[in-house]
Amino acid sequence: MRPSNLFFLIVILVLMLDGAIIRQISSKKEVYRDNGHISNIVTAALGLTDLCLSTEARYTRHPAVSDPIAPFMDHPGAIEHFPSGSFWAVAENRP
Amino acid sequence: MSPAIEKHLNLLDYALSSLWRRKLKNLGITLVFAAVIFLVASFQFLTSSLTATADVLLAEAPEIVVQKMTGGRQESIPVSYLNRLEKIFGIRAAVPRVWGYYFNETTGANYTVLAVDRSEMPGGHQLEYAIDGKAPVDGQGEAALGREVAADLKLGKRRKFSLFRPDLSLKPFNVSGIFSESTGLLTADLLVTGLTEARDLFAIPDHFSTDICVYVANPNEISTIAKKIADRLPDTRVLTRPQIRKTYQVVFGWRSGFASICLLTALAAFVILAWDKASGLSAEEKREIGILKVLGWQTSDILVLRLWESLAVSGVAFLLGCTAAFVHVLYLDGSLFKPIMVGWSVIKPSLDLLPVFAAGDLLLIFTISVLPFMAATVIPAWRCSTVPPDSAIK
Repeated sequence: MRPSNLFFLIVILVLMLDGAIIRQISSKKEVYRDNGHISNIVTAALGLTDLCLSTEARYTRHPAVSDPIAPFMDHPGAIEHFPSGSFWAVAENRP
Repeated sequence: MSPAIEKHLNLLDYALSSLWRRKLKNLGITLVFAAVIFLVASFQFLTSSLTATADVLLAEAPEIVVQKMTGGRQESIPVSYLNRLEKIFGIRAAVPRVWGYYFNETTGANYTVLAVDRSEMPGGHQLEYAIDGKAPVDGQGEAALGREVAADLKLGKRRKFSLFRPDLSLKPFNVSGIFSESTGLLTADLLVTGLTEARDLFAIPDHFSTDICVYVANPNEISTIAKKIADRLPDTRVLTRPQIRKTYQVVFGWRSGFASICLLTALAAFVILAWDKASGLSAEEKREIGILKVLGWQTSDILVLRLWESLAVSGVAFLLGCTAAFVHVLYLDGSLFKPIMVGWSVIKPSLDLLPVFAAGDLLLIFTISVLPFMAATVIPAWRCSTVPPDSAIK
């Protein structure tokens, strides 16, 4: 077999795998949208503002309603020390 | 087959054979390159998924949230502020909420305790659809728990548990229901109870609440009414739904510390690879180019050959890196990044995210990875191939 044929065969196999993954993404999206109305009920009924991703610090549990300065508020001269704080950027347009 | 295609296939055959001759080095470069692309792509896919998930799940977030600020900190807002809001035309409902964090010293977990008069909230009467059991009734000592809270309290079949008030006396609760699993990304750490119970637990006086959710008659007027509220209540911070939703458009960005580390790592790897290539070809590679030119190859043929070589290495690395990133985010819940994202949290909700496949993300990753590598490979080859063949062979 020519090296180029073998190369194209490998590339096509990887692309087929990607195609299967993308197809899975589409079907998962549909399931997500079907379950979305239950989540919308919870959000509306309780007035939720944030996703429950990290529960270690108030400013990563509720970034939408926290101050940008909150990580440094524990005491004068406090520095931000929670690991999850490194994953989040400061929200813009926050007074 | 047309001669042009045949020519390129022959060049590709030669390029692949040439790569295979130095297989250890080239396989090493391809794997390192794929690992770097995997890191960048995983972060990009994960942040896109988080943003899309937040966009879907927080579509019904409160239209306006009013918080009282003192000394730059949020504190309880007097319920009497509702009287000052009543006079603003266009407000449909203003609902005080009591919420806060309860630290369980036994397990080290933080719960979010939340109480609101559901009869005044949009869709409040539908909440039971999201609960296995029933919604808590105010004054009955009931609480609906997120699944992770129930697990953390190790309730098992028990329906009663107690939490400590600030004075360390015990506040008993009956479990009225558990939030359904599909709402985990919103409710994992929630303990929803009545206003009476929440005030009792946190020792908040009856005439105070944590914040006020405001709903307007015309959604187009959210920003106008928010401005009026800010004018009437100058000691408050007013957040609008667009601001809340925008938070999740920007917080998962490349400007966060962890993202910067990913990007800098990737950049450093690219620079090292590019520097290795751009610093010139090895004597063996120069001799090979000289021999090819003696045999009648044109400069353009050598450039195309090098282009195929670099495309094979970087293209395969790109495909492998992106495929691994898809698998990492879609099937493994971004398990490499999750420890950093949840940090020291004891309650760790499953990352059941809305997957996103965006061509823009792939194009961005391709542009910052494959194109610089190809440029860094072809330019030294062009410089070498313009040298007379006899001097290259020497």
